[in-house]
Amino acid sequence: MEEKKTLLKEVSDNIGFIRDSMAERYGEKHPEWAWVYELLADYYERACRAKEEGRPVAWVNFGVISELFWAMDIVPVIIDVMTGLTAPTASAIKYIDMAEEHIPDHVCSNNKVLIGAALAGDIPIPDILVHPSHPCDSNLATYPVMAEYFGFPYFCIDMPYFRSERGSQYVAGELKKLVSVLEEITRRKLDVDKLKQVMECSNMAHQYILKISELRQAIPCPYSSIETISEYGIVLSLAGTPQLADYFKRRYEWTRDRVARKEGHLAKGREKIRLVWIYGAPAFDLSIFVWLERQYGAVSVANMNNNFVMKPVEDISDYEKILRGLAEKVTYLPMTRECGGPWEHYLDATIDLCRRYKADAAIFAGHVACKSNWAVMKLVKDKIYDELGIPTLLLEVDLFDPRVASSESIKAKFDAFFELIL
Amino acid sequence: MSALEELTGLASDLVNPAVLDWKGKGKKVVGFCCSYVPEEIIYAADMLPYRIRASGCAETTSADVYMSHLNCSFVRSCLQFALEGKYEFLDGLVFINSCDHVRRLYDVLRETVDFPFMHFISVPHKVSDGAVAWYKEELREFRENVERSFGVEITEASLSEAINVYNETRSLLKRLYELRQRENPPVTGAESLSVVLAGTTTPKDQYNQLLRRLLEELAEREGTSSYRARLMIAGSGGCDNPAYYEIIEDLGGLVVTDSLCFGSRYFWEPVEIGGDLMLSLAKSYLNRPSCPRMVDKVAERNDFVKEMVEGFKVDGVIFQRIRYCDLWGGQLLHLRKKLRESNIPLLSLEREYMLGGTGQLRTRVQAFLERMES
Repeated sequence: MEEKKTLLKEVSDNIGFIRDSMAERYGEKHPEWAWVYELLADYYERACRAKEEGRPVAWVNFGVISELFWAMDIVPVIIDVMTGLTAPTASAIKYIDMAEEHIPDHVCSNNKVLIGAALAGDIPIPDILVHPSHPCDSNLATYPVMAEYFGFPYFCIDMPYFRSERGSQYVAGELKKLVSVLEEITRRKLDVDKLKQVMECSNMAHQYILKISELRQAIPCPYSSIETISEYGIVLSLAGTPQLADYFKRRYEWTRDRVARKEGHLAKGREKIRLVWIYGAPAFDLSIFVWLERQYGAVSVANMNNNFVMKPVEDISDYEKILRGLAEKVTYLPMTRECGGPWEHYLDATIDLCRRYKADAAIFAGHVACKSNWAVMKLVKDKIYDELGIPTLLLEVDLFDPRVASSESIKAKFDAFFELIL
Repeated sequence: MSALEELTGLASDLVNPAVLDWKGKGKKVVGFCCSYVPEEIIYAADMLPYRIRASGCAETTSADVYMSHLNCSFVRSCLQFALEGKYEFLDGLVFINSCDHVRRLYDVLRETVDFPFMHFISVPHKVSDGAVAWYKEELREFRENVERSFGVEITEASLSEAINVYNETRSLLKRLYELRQRENPPVTGAESLSVVLAGTTTPKDQYNQLLRRLLEELAEREGTSSYRARLMIAGSGGCDNPAYYEIIEDLGGLVVTDSLCFGSRYFWEPVEIGGDLMLSLAKSYLNRPSCPRMVDKVAERNDFVKEMVEGFKVDGVIFQRIRYCDLWGGQLLHLRKKLRESNIPLLSLEREYMLGGTGQLRTRVQAFLERMES
């Protein structure tokens, strides 16, 4: 009998297919286009093998850093990256529909894909699920309920609403509790020396990320729009691994050389408009980015999600200091930084992003489930215009479900937007 | 006028006679948005804690300029009222991180309406020693801000007195609910909701007097026996419209209890007074029957519903939630399973804050009642 294909395996196979196709089609001219997929494919293959190799698997939300898990030899499967990679497939719709038999349609489809897959028995129950209390209700509403419903261990990193020194200490305390819980599950003590090694890798990668983020601000933009968004998944999944450090070293050298040659992703003179995506991207069809480049010379130079500009963990001399550093990192991870806390967090990060990347327009791919962002978009849009003099396109979309706004309807909105601003 | 009539009157007006009287004495009124705000601290400062609502809000045109249709209609209605100046009698507003909608209401209000005092309490999402310590510190900062901003002193004696007054309210309301456990409850669900609502805007010492009178009156009142089923209302906040209950009760369902923050969860557990009053408040508020914003109490929340069902001999549960309330929407996954395991019928209803679609509501409730009768 054919073995049941899990969601994780499906994602792994899809990524493997993309990697191979990229290598076959563009391998000679643009080998770098496959780099992200090589890394992702390898990671998902490892995640698929984890259970048979006796390694625990943690479902981890995008607001949690991976370093602690890698240090404890636990494979962190970033839920949101996995569901995002599922979005272009028919499975996403199937799981969303299954989940909606049990919970309301307005809950985030990212959560619904996971719930649907779990209800279908298409994903192995994890050894633990970990998420922070930021940034949204949908996570708070579904993760603990899933843990209770399916009966698996669960940990929420409680995050204070405002950023402060006291808050940072509180989050560090939460991370310490998380480690204790992980130790219980794995029945192994955290090896602090191993954690230090992981942090060295993490910092190495992070230093390159910061340098690259400077280089990517160049005109013309050295990165393709797809590359700009795609790195989000690998940073979340592989922070603290040598593979990620190696990737960003290569990527930094490649970007540095490209900028030195004044080469952009588009041919000379083709970059007409610089777009900054201040919220999300339609995960169900990333080819929209390619369409924007080809149709309008509109390069998506930055994306809120792939904006890892927080400080690396500078002091890794002892366990407590690492936890304090990681607490800071958790607080400033993309999305948590923007969407947790008061609206000024989102506004400041958005203005900064648009300014640094010299945006001609801001794009708000407003996920219908992200109520906190929609609640202040009028204010944010007006402030962006007041401070930077650039327009913002508001798109009402479901980032994982094309039935809310299809690719064609999104493109039509861009057509109308460009007609207005060009 | 009977106590019930008086309390119903207090619940129906945005600025009721008790508020007017309070303001007439030159005293302050401080609004708050969520049952996780310890009113006792405001009351101890000799100010009136006033839980904001927007009953009677008919449209949200002005609010919709700022907030999206994807935001819950309770919050948009409150914003509408604020923009229309209907909260001008408030001397301040206190918020917490209740949910995405409410926290953003705080943000939009800061940008659009000039309230003389605003404060935000960061409430933990789970209970632990660290969380209690965090919350206690937040409450200390809140207390200091109240003292500083209003030029008042909140003494330990006044705080202790406030907690005692509030605990008496809790005890009296619990006695009211106990009467509803009877075979022939002396109050309907709609009446009971009005009584609780009156307490969210009326000075508690005055309210307690009315509650005592009410309980005396109800001792003499003949209970209702002409109902088709005993119902419980569970689910999201903003369920503050007695007319919603009346529609259900006109069809023959009698609402005998609830698990709402405008209902039982508001008063179910007293504040256990220890040596450190702020610690007592922090512990008690975090440990009370919870809203799904608390992540570590999923099972406890559903157990609370089941305990209510048993204690009040409930035939069926109506789980209502305002559209776009994710917190309560997610809860449904587990609650439905638990109630099904116990053969407790469940009707899940989505609604808007403004009472609309009443025909559909009647049809759904009628079908639910028939299902239970068959």
